[in-house]
Amino acid sequence: MTMLGYQNKVLRVDLTKKGATTEPLRMDWAENYIGSKGLAIKYLYEELKPGIDPLSPDNKLLLMTGPMTGTPVPCSGKLSISAKSPATGTINDCSIGGHSALQIKYAGYDAIILEGALKEPGYLLIEDGNIQFKDANELWGKGSHVAEATLAEKYGHDYSILSIGPAGENLVTMACINSDYYRQAGRGGIGAVMGSKKLKAIVIKGTGGVKIPNIVENTKKITEILRADVLQEDNTFIYDFGTTAFLEACSDGGILPRKNFSDTTDENWTKYNGDVLLEKRVGKRGCGSCGLGCGNFLKFENATVEGPEYESIAVAGPNAGIDDPEAIVKFNQIADDMGLDTISAGDTINFAMEMTEKGVHDFGIKFGDKVKYLEYLELMAKREGVGADLALGVKKLTEKYGGEDYALHVKGLEYPQYEPRGSWGMSLAYAVSDRGACHMRAYAPNEEVFAASIPPYTAEGKGELVYNLGVFNAVKFSLCICDFWATLSYERMAELMTLITGREWTEQEMKDVGVRVLNIARAFNQREGFDRKDDTIPKRLVNEALQSGAAAGQKIPQEAFEDMLDQYYTVIGWDKNGMIPDNILCQL
Amino acid sequence: MKITIQLRGSLTKYFQGEKVRSVEVPDNCTAEEALKTVGIDWTAIRNFGFVAVNSRRVMIYDRLKEGDELKAYPKISGG
Repeated sequence: MTMLGYQNKVLRVDLTKKGATTEPLRMDWAENYIGSKGLAIKYLYEELKPGIDPLSPDNKLLLMTGPMTGTPVPCSGKLSISAKSPATGTINDCSIGGHSALQIKYAGYDAIILEGALKEPGYLLIEDGNIQFKDANELWGKGSHVAEATLAEKYGHDYSILSIGPAGENLVTMACINSDYYRQAGRGGIGAVMGSKKLKAIVIKGTGGVKIPNIVENTKKITEILRADVLQEDNTFIYDFGTTAFLEACSDGGILPRKNFSDTTDENWTKYNGDVLLEKRVGKRGCGSCGLGCGNFLKFENATVEGPEYESIAVAGPNAGIDDPEAIVKFNQIADDMGLDTISAGDTINFAMEMTEKGVHDFGIKFGDKVKYLEYLELMAKREGVGADLALGVKKLTEKYGGEDYALHVKGLEYPQYEPRGSWGMSLAYAVSDRGACHMRAYAPNEEVFAASIPPYTAEGKGELVYNLGVFNAVKFSLCICDFWATLSYERMAELMTLITGREWTEQEMKDVGVRVLNIARAFNQREGFDRKDDTIPKRLVNEALQSGAAAGQKIPQEAFEDMLDQYYTVIGWDKNGMIPDNILCQL
Repeated sequence: MKITIQLRGSLTKYFQGEKVRSVEVPDNCTAEEALKTVGIDWTAIRNFGFVAVNSRRVMIYDRLKEGDELKAYPKISGG
């Protein structure tokens, strides 16, 4: 049967020829991969040739919504933006908040596929079925915030604007795509892919709607789900505190990294914790169709940002040896404007600090230097001075200068701010994540650290743990439901899919989608030459024991890591080299 | 023995909105037993997260000493 919730239409834009066509959505693929993350990866698996240069016109940038986008389903406002990653060479699906997903759906599209490249800097204007290619020469070189404000002034604040900053324009492989000023498709150099197409922005407004079955009755049911499920304290803490709530918990949990992951905890954390930051809160915000409103607007004397999130606080705070809350907020503000991923940019500068202090290579910055920390962001975005080196990221800097013993990345994507020596399963989660070290694929601390009775410092059971968490998130992000709906269950996902599409979905089908999405992502990477040798643990975690905090004395023996990897491959059905067998590949 | 119990997030409802209390608990009791003393049965709280003693995560059955600060967190989910 035809599923509702979808527009059954894809907008395909040829930037080289400056043309646009529409085609039906592959509903046969949607049956198996739903939308957003899963469907985007399936499209890219089918349409990209192996071995292409991610910064060439051969790469494609996919903006993919889900069947629930633009419906009353809460927490459904995120947009998947996907491509082959220039940072890692793997598949890379990002998730951006804000309102652009709804505008795309209301314009009548499930997805927008951007192919080829413009010859001159430009931006796309999409108003329902009207697609225009506009000149962006006057915006090129400008920060993302100025670009977005200029376009909003020109077209109206009821348009959604996706943009890149100088980092994306200069093909920095830690460049992000921004929307609503402070929301990002952050990791893996997705902004550099957009920059390689000389596309400064996408301006979009949709005036249509989304069809769902029995709209009156089903909206009532969905509203009841919002009240009974979403709006309970397991989820609503994110409204009160944002992700600043994670700081104290991670510090006590022994997983808050300090000084380039050389140790954990920070006795100064109370100088920049949630209580301090939220004193400067001047407003709140949520994404389209949210219900939880995690966004906090903070205003210091010289810094304003929506945020900062835990990752940005930790990377620019204790992991940089900095304890000044205003400097941390300013870091976030500048990174957003320059269009840089805070995790990768911060980690790279932190690595450079250690290289400088150890005398391996002088990058001119040491731990705690909050002035240069902020200056270096713009230099990285523009590849100027020391920024030309730092823009390379941790992996390439290691290849150029050394420092592998304390270089924390997987496949070239820098480590998020959860120290795995305090949460062993997280080392596995980072290693097998489809896009390099990502904390959003399988969030192990939730089960290992923020839980009263599960031991974090063991390899036992971690393969199954990471598999179960990974399957769940894979289908959740294919629906596309926001991570912060923490109490979402397989049963609920099936119920929502049935309400929105009009087709009966079961819990088992939801799980099957999750497994299928993990496999299609791995298949993409396998075709690019990735296998077990690339599912790695950084040397620091194996060789150096933590000195402080709850996990003092912990390091992860290589054999324990290999054991966790073996467990994972077994439970997911891959061979000992991490390769998908033919009997699974042929079903994808 | 005397210890301090701090509650975080939604768990503060068990202290009627207060975050911290000094309490008398049995000598050498576990974190679990100390929480029971103030009426908190962690197994009955669906979103109970973890406990820390003197700002270090411990297991719920680890034992306490005089003067310890016991912190209890709700589950925080996310990334």
